[in-house]
Amino acid sequence: MNRRLAFYSLLLFGMSQVTLAHTPICDCYDNGDNTITCEGGFSDGGTAAGIPMRIIDGAGKLLIDGAMSAQSDFTFTKPDGNFRVEFEGGDGHIIQIDGRDIEE
Amino acid sequence: MVTATSFRSMDATLRNRRLGTGRVRGIGHAVELSCVILLAAFSSTASAHFQLLYTPEAALNASRAIPLALVFSHPFNNGYTMSMGEPEAFYVISQRGAEAERRKTDLLEYLEPVTWSGVDSQAEAFVAHPPRSVTRSLGDYTYVLRPAPYYEEQEDKYIQQITKTVINVGGLPGSWDEPLGLPVEIVPLDKPYANWVGGVFRAVVLADGMPVPNAEIEIEYLNHEPQIDQLRFAAEAKITAPQGSFITLSIRANAQGEVMIGLPKAGWWGICALDLDDGLEYNDKELSLDAVLWIKATDMLP
Repeated sequence: MNRRLAFYSLLLFGMSQVTLAHTPICDCYDNGDNTITCEGGFSDGGTAAGIPMRIIDGAGKLLIDGAMSAQSDFTFTKPDGNFRVEFEGGDGHIIQIDGRDIEE
Repeated sequence: MVTATSFRSMDATLRNRRLGTGRVRGIGHAVELSCVILLAAFSSTASAHFQLLYTPEAALNASRAIPLALVFSHPFNNGYTMSMGEPEAFYVISQRGAEAERRKTDLLEYLEPVTWSGVDSQAEAFVAHPPRSVTRSLGDYTYVLRPAPYYEEQEDKYIQQITKTVINVGGLPGSWDEPLGLPVEIVPLDKPYANWVGGVFRAVVLADGMPVPNAEIEIEYLNHEPQIDQLRFAAEAKITAPQGSFITLSIRANAQGEVMIGLPKAGWWGICALDLDDGLEYNDKELSLDAVLWIKATDMLP
């Protein structure tokens, strides 16, 4: 499997009912033109528009600080070297995707 | 066990007319199902024709290329597989999220004619291997097949089964519960790809966009798993029917056109609503326009 899809566990006690009911979902793929697109949403079909997206290099430096578009996607130029994608799913719950798991 | 060949409910239309009171407008808000229980009143001693639109997995954790097999057969006893003509339409409707736009991708270019082997027969069928780019996004993918009408000699009429199979990538839902505007279709009321064994599945039968009261429904379990790479059904049956009535399960939709079935076994289940559009003809013969929906039940495992 070339691409990793990250899910959040529902076993997060003490969360709000809204958060428990709607699991954040994010996935990314390489467009083959030195850009990467990430898609997001929630398990109830809800939009991810405006959800913060961060691209962080291997040393922990913030490279890109953006947000999901109105279409719940986010495209960025592929960084040199190792990096990870962070999807801020709400209530401090962050989905992380390693750049090495993102493929065409 | 009875092993008849090509039974269909020849009087489906007649019974629909007798029991029905006209199509009800609007699917309705509150889903008030007068349950039609699996293993219900109408017995059948043989298996039914089912258009298969098969892929191994219904709920994928991540995107990948999705192989498909299009076979016209009898899914429970695999007694007879029938040759298909060139499909009239074959496409997938995808939607990533409830508020996203639907996308339609035509799949006719990916069809490959093959000879498919059943346990006791061979017939012309199709497989398709669309590239991963077709299913690269998250969301629901509803595959739609409108096969060429099939001439059923025993009944001297044609059968055309407009078939849907819904899969999901990544757990982000889309338009699984939306009608697609097909002439006839079965619209899910539960996610077709997320059903535990032991649960129930509900749907509503539509013709020309309106619910069909008391529609005659046939249900079969896909008892011989298709092996796409080998272009055949597995020879081994998963289960054995204790009596002919259990091969094709016959039930009725309720007055709102809604059906509910139990799911006692993991795997694919086919639901077929018979003869939904009266008065159709093809090649100067009667045409039975049926709607088929495939759903998958999954075991609860540790």
